[in-house]
Amino acid sequence: MNGSALVRSNLVVKGHGGAIGLPSLAFKNVLQTRQNTTAAAPPPELKASYGNLSDSDRIFTNLYGRHDWQLKGALKRGDWYKTKEILIKGTDYIINEVKTSGLRGRGGAGFPTGMKWSFMNKPSDGRPKYLVVNADEGEPGTCKDREIMRHDPHKLIEGCLVAGRAMGACAAYIYIRGEFYNEASNLQQAICEAYQAGLIGKNACNSGYDFDVFVHRGAGAYICGEETALIESLEGKQGKPRLKPPFPADVGVFGCPTTVSNVETVAVAPTICRRGGAWFLGLGRPRNSGTKLFNISGHVNNPCTVEEEMSIPLKELIERHAGGIIGGWDNLLAVIPGGSSTPLIPKHVCETAIMDFDGLVAAQTSLGTAALIVMNKQTDIVKAIARLIMFYKHESCGQCTPCREGINWMNKIMYRFVDGQAQSSEIDMLWEISKQIEGHTICALGDGAAWPVQGLIRHFRPELECRMKKYQEQNEKQALSN
Amino acid sequence: MFRTTLQRTVPCIRLVVAPGQFRLNSNAPAPPSKLEVFIDDKKVLVDPGTTVLQAAALAGVEIPRFCYHERLAVAGNCRMCLVEVERSPKPVAACAMPVMNGWKIKTNSELTRKAREGVMEFLLMNHPLDCPICDQGGECDLQDQSMAFGSDRSRFVDIDYSGKRAVEDKDIGPLVKTIMTRCIHCTRCIRFASEVAGVDDLGTTGRGSDMQVGTYIEKMFLSELSGNVIDLCPVGALTSKPYSFSARPWETRKTDSVDVLDALGSNIVVSTRAGDVMRILPRLNEDINEEWLSDKSRFSYDGLKRQRLITPLVKDNKGNLVPVEWEDALVATSRALINANGNIVGVSGGLSDAESMIALKDLLNRLGSEQLYTEEPFPMTGSGTDFRSSYILNSSISGLEQADLVLLIGTNPRYEAPLLNTRIRKSYVHNDLEIALLGPKVDLSYDYEYLGESPAILKDLAEKRHAFYAKLSKAKRPVIILGAQQFEREDGAILLAQAQQLSQELNKNADKGWKILNVLQQVAGQVAALDLGYKPYNNLPAAKVLYLLGADNESLTKCKPAGTTVIYQGHHGDAGAAIADIVLPGAAYTEKQATYVNTEGRAQQTLMAVQPPGMARSDWKIIRAISEFVGVKLPYDTLNEVRDRLTDVCPSMTRYGDLEPANYLVQASDLAKDLSSQTVSTPLNVKQITLEDFYMTDSISRSSPTMAKCIQAVRKQKESKYYESRA
Amino acid sequence: MNNIFPFNKFITGFNIIKANGGPLNAFKKLFRHDELKIGTLVGTDEMGNRYYENNTYFYGRNRWVEYNDQVYLDYDASQITAEWYGWIHYKTDLLPYNDPNRPKYKWMAKHTENETGTERQYVPYSTMPPKIQAWVPPNKN
Repeated sequence: MNGSALVRSNLVVKGHGGAIGLPSLAFKNVLQTRQNTTAAAPPPELKASYGNLSDSDRIFTNLYGRHDWQLKGALKRGDWYKTKEILIKGTDYIINEVKTSGLRGRGGAGFPTGMKWSFMNKPSDGRPKYLVVNADEGEPGTCKDREIMRHDPHKLIEGCLVAGRAMGACAAYIYIRGEFYNEASNLQQAICEAYQAGLIGKNACNSGYDFDVFVHRGAGAYICGEETALIESLEGKQGKPRLKPPFPADVGVFGCPTTVSNVETVAVAPTICRRGGAWFLGLGRPRNSGTKLFNISGHVNNPCTVEEEMSIPLKELIERHAGGIIGGWDNLLAVIPGGSSTPLIPKHVCETAIMDFDGLVAAQTSLGTAALIVMNKQTDIVKAIARLIMFYKHESCGQCTPCREGINWMNKIMYRFVDGQAQSSEIDMLWEISKQIEGHTICALGDGAAWPVQGLIRHFRPELECRMKKYQEQNEKQALSN
Repeated sequence: MFRTTLQRTVPCIRLVVAPGQFRLNSNAPAPPSKLEVFIDDKKVLVDPGTTVLQAAALAGVEIPRFCYHERLAVAGNCRMCLVEVERSPKPVAACAMPVMNGWKIKTNSELTRKAREGVMEFLLMNHPLDCPICDQGGECDLQDQSMAFGSDRSRFVDIDYSGKRAVEDKDIGPLVKTIMTRCIHCTRCIRFASEVAGVDDLGTTGRGSDMQVGTYIEKMFLSELSGNVIDLCPVGALTSKPYSFSARPWETRKTDSVDVLDALGSNIVVSTRAGDVMRILPRLNEDINEEWLSDKSRFSYDGLKRQRLITPLVKDNKGNLVPVEWEDALVATSRALINANGNIVGVSGGLSDAESMIALKDLLNRLGSEQLYTEEPFPMTGSGTDFRSSYILNSSISGLEQADLVLLIGTNPRYEAPLLNTRIRKSYVHNDLEIALLGPKVDLSYDYEYLGESPAILKDLAEKRHAFYAKLSKAKRPVIILGAQQFEREDGAILLAQAQQLSQELNKNADKGWKILNVLQQVAGQVAALDLGYKPYNNLPAAKVLYLLGADNESLTKCKPAGTTVIYQGHHGDAGAAIADIVLPGAAYTEKQATYVNTEGRAQQTLMAVQPPGMARSDWKIIRAISEFVGVKLPYDTLNEVRDRLTDVCPSMTRYGDLEPANYLVQASDLAKDLSSQTVSTPLNVKQITLEDFYMTDSISRSSPTMAKCIQAVRKQKESKYYESRA
Repeated sequence: MNNIFPFNKFITGFNIIKANGGPLNAFKKLFRHDELKIGTLVGTDEMGNRYYENNTYFYGRNRWVEYNDQVYLDYDASQITAEWYGWIHYKTDLLPYNDPNRPKYKWMAKHTENETGTERQYVPYSTMPPKIQAWVPPNKN
C-alpha cells in the first residue's frame, strides 16, 4: 500500500497497481512517476520547518464563517477576481499551473491533480465531458469540505469553472452528501448568485465559455463517495462501484468522459491559477506541496478545522491549533491521522510523524483526508476500532464478496476482541482476513476497512492479548465458583 | 433504456459497438492486431479487448468464477477469478480486466491461490452447509470450486457465537424455488432478467451483508424464460420447483434430444431415472437456443405423464371407447381403411414427426388417397407450398443477429418463439437493431415502432405509401417476420403476397444474398409436413375415414362430418382422441427417435429417453403395422429404412443439424403477384398476447399441471394492485 | 456269497415292490416321488399326506412323506401340516397324536400350502402413484 489512504475520491488510478489495464503508455508513465513519488526516500528538506502558515498564504479565508459567505463577501475576499483572464488563457495554462503547483488530490488518494485533469484533454469523439465534484464527505473525522461549501461556496464554484475549463467540460455536477442540508442550501444559493452575476452559465465570466454547475444531493451512503459509485448514484442507480477499466476518464457519468475531483482540490485551483503554481509549490515539502485543511477531532482541547502548510509535524499541529491533548501530550494513546480508514499510529510514532503524503507513508499509515482523530489514554482503543469496523460493515455496498462477507466477519471478531472473548491465535486470523480483503475488492472501501484493523494489530497486539487473558481468567474463576 | 447503460458499462460490448474507443482516449500508437500474453508462461496471441479470463481459456486454463457468464454483462463482483499478474502488486479480476501486451498472468501462483482461498472462505462463511438437502448438490459450482480451490478446514469460529446469516425465501412463482440463504450474490439472475429476458423484475435490495436478491416487492418473476435462472445460479439459491427433491444429477440418465413445443426445435437434454422423465435442461446450440430454454419447453414435461393414451381404444356398440389389444385395434383400423375405398383423409398435427408422416403418406397413397393435410393452414394460391422459401424462416435464427431492422407482422415472437425473441432482443441491446411491429400491441421486452394492427398497413408498405417505408428501404439487412397464424385468416394469401412483394422491393437496396422474408411457424411438425408434400388444411373434404396423426386442432375436430370413421393416432387424450372411433396410442417426443424440422428448415432428431408408456408404440411402427393388416405392406422395417425413404423424398431431412437454406424467393413472389383480391379489414390478431396465453398451446402443455399452476400464478399476479402492464 | 451274487438285494427290491402294491403301482410311485421305499405308515394328516418311518434307513432318510395322491406331481413341502412338521424335521420324535402338549383350539386356521407362484399368491399393493396417468375416454352414457 504505497501511499493511498481510503480512496474516497480523486482517484483515476488506484494507488497500488491501479494502472493495470490502462491502455495507453501515457498512463503507464503516470504510474511510474506516481510510484516513484511514494516509494522513494523522504523528500529533501528545503526549509528548516513547516507549519505556522502565514495569513497571506491562506486560501480559505472564510473557513470559520466570520464573514459573509455570499457573492458580495466572496468578491471582497478576492474570489472571481480575473477569472475571465484565467479562462481565456486556456486549458494548457490552467493545467500547467496546476501541474507546477504539485497539487495532489485532497480526497485521500493523493493523485497528482494536474495529471488527472490532463487525461481529459484527448481528441473529442463528440461526447460531452463532465466534471464531477465529490462533495460526499462521509469519512468519519473528516469535515473539511463542508466548511468550504458552507462558508466559502464561491471558491468551489469558481474552482468548478476553472477546472471545467481545464478539462473542457461542459458542466460540473457537485454531488453533495445528503446530510449536508445547510451546505447544499448555501451552495445552491451561491450558484444562483453566480448565475445571476453571469459568472457561470452561458458565456461564463464573459469568456465565451459555457459552463453549468448542478448540485445533486446524495442519499446518505458512504460508498457514494467512491468515484464510480458516485457516478452510478448520480445516474440514478444504486450507488455501487463500477469495475475499472473503463476508467471515468473514458466512460464516466452518463457514459461520457468524466473527472471526479474532491471539493478541496477543485476549490484551491483558482487561487493556484491566480497566484501561480510556484507559490503553491513553495509551501510544504517537494511532492507534498501546498496548504491543506486539517481536521483535528477527538481528545484534544480545541477540536478544529484549520488550514495549514503541508508537512507540518503532527505534534506541532495538535499543540498549536488544537490546544494539545486532553490530559497533556503524555496522555496521548494513538492518532488516526487521515480519516477513519487509515491505520492508527501510537504515541511514539506521533512524536516524529510529519503530516504529508510521504511522511505518513513512512509511518505505515497515510494522509488520507488529513482528518486527525486523536485518542488519549482514556480511550478503549479496541472498542474504538471495532466501532469503525461496524461503520464499514454497515456502509459496505455488498457487491463484491471480500468486502461484503469479510468486513462482516471482522466486525464479529472485533466485538469479541473488545471483551477478550477469543483465542490469541485469532489475532493472526484477523490479520489474515484483513489481508484477504485488502486489494481484492472492486473499490477501496475494503482496503479502508482492513487498515484500521491492521493498524490496531500492528501497534496494540499486547493490549488484545491482555484482554483475552483477563477474560479467560475471569471465566475460570466463574467456573470454579460455580 | 437498458441498451445505453449496458453499452457503456461493459467494456467488451463497448468494443463491439465502437471499436477503437480505447485508443481514442490515449496518445499511444494503435495497438497491434494481436496481443501477446503469457498464461503460466505459455504464450497466447489474443485480440485487443480480450479479458484475462478469455485469454486463459484460449491457453486451456480455466479460471474459477461465479459471477462471470459469457452471455451476460461482466459484473466482476464475486472476486473468485482473481489472478496474479506479474509486476502488479494486487491480483486482478480476470473476468473484467482486458489483457495488455506482454502481460504475464499466473493462474496458479501462491498469490492467486491465496486470493481464491480467501474468497472461497468468505463465500462459505455465510453459506449454509446444507448440501445434503440441497437440490443443486452434485452440480453446484460452489461445491466443486470449494473442493478445488477452497481450504481444507474451516476457521469460522464465529459459528459458535453469532452463527450465519439467514435470509427469508422469496416466492417468485411456481417454477423457480428460492432458498435465499444460499445466495452468494453473484447477480447472474439479475443480469439475465434484465439483459436477456428483458424484465427488470429481479434486483438487489439492501447493502453489505444485508444485501438481498429479490423482486423488490413480493411478486412473481413474470417471464417466459424464468427457468434459465435455475441453470445460471451457481449455487442452490434458485432451483426448479417441480424438480425439487426428486432426483440427484448423478442418478439420472441424460439423453440429448430436441424440443417440439415450439417451432424452434431448441436443443434439450432429457434427464430420466427409472423410465421417468425427471427434468429437461437446455443443450448448447449456438444456432438455435444458445443455452437458454423457454419455460414451456423446460417445465411441461409433467404433461407427458398425464392424459396419456396407453392402450388402443375402439368404440364399442354403445359408442364408448374401450381398451382393446393392439390386434383388435389394428383389425378395426384396417377394416375401416379398406372399407373407405380410398376415400381417406389424413391430417397430421403439430407434434408429428417426419417418419410417421412419411409412413402415413405412403400408406394412404397406396390405398388410393392423396388427401394428406397439415393441421396448420397455409395459402395454396400462388406458388403455395411449392417453394420452401415461402414457409420457412429464411434468414435463420442466428442470422437475425446480423439484421439491422426487423418488421414483425402479425406475430408475438416473445411467446410464440421465446428464444427467437431473445435473439432479436440480443441484437436490439448490442447492435442497435430497430424493430417495428404490425399487429396487436404486445410487450416484446424491447422497444419497437408500432405501426398499427390493420392489414391495410402492410399493403401500404408494399406499395411504398406508408411513412415507415422510407426507413425500411434504407435498411441494408432488413428482416420481415410473418406469423404463420395469420394464414388462418381468409386473406392470409394476400398478406403473404404483400409481404413477398415488400421483401422484393426491399431486396433492391439490401445486401446481396440477404434474405428478407421469413415465416415464423407455430408448431414443430409443420415444416417437415410441408417438405414431405402434405398440403395445408384449409377446408376439410368429406371422407369416409379421417386419419388424425396427432391432430388436435379444435376447429378441425369440431367440424367432424357425420358418418366418418375417425382414427386418432397420438400420445395425448385431447380434442382429437375425444372424437375418434379408434384410438392408437403413439409415442411422445421423449419416447421416440424421430425427425423434426424447425422453422428455419433445420432437420434435427429426438432420441428415445424413455419407453413409450403402456402399449404405446413409435408412430411410424403403428402405421407400418396397419399397412400389413391392410395388405399394402410398406417397404421398410427399420428406422434406417424409413429414413432412407425420407431421404428419397427430401434429402435435407436426414442431414441432422444442418441448415437447409431455401431460395426461389423471387419466383414465389412473382407467382403471387396476380393476386388482386382485397384484404379483409379485421385487424391482425395473435393468439398469444399475454404470458398466460403462452403456457398452454399443445396437447402436452395442456396436460401439464405445472403449466396450469403458471397460468394461475400469472392471473393472480395480474390481480395484484402493484401489477403494471407493460404492453 | 452275497458279494458275488447279491440275492438279498433282489429280495429287498422284491419286497419293496410288493409293499408298494405291485410293479405298476410301484412304478407310478417311483415316477411320482423319484424314490421307492418301504416303511411303516405312522400316520396321515388332514391334507391326506401319509407319513412313513423305517429306521433301517439311516438318520435323515428314515422318515418321509407321501403326499396326497390327489395333488399328484404338484406336491410341495409346504403341504406338510404344521403338526407333522416337527416330526418330519426331527424336531421331535413324538408323533403328533402321541404328543400330550399339543394345544388345539377352535380358532386355529386350517393349514394352507404356500401359494407363491400360483394365481392365489399374495401381491402387496403399490403405494406409489402411477407414473403415467392414462386418459379416460368420456363415457357417453
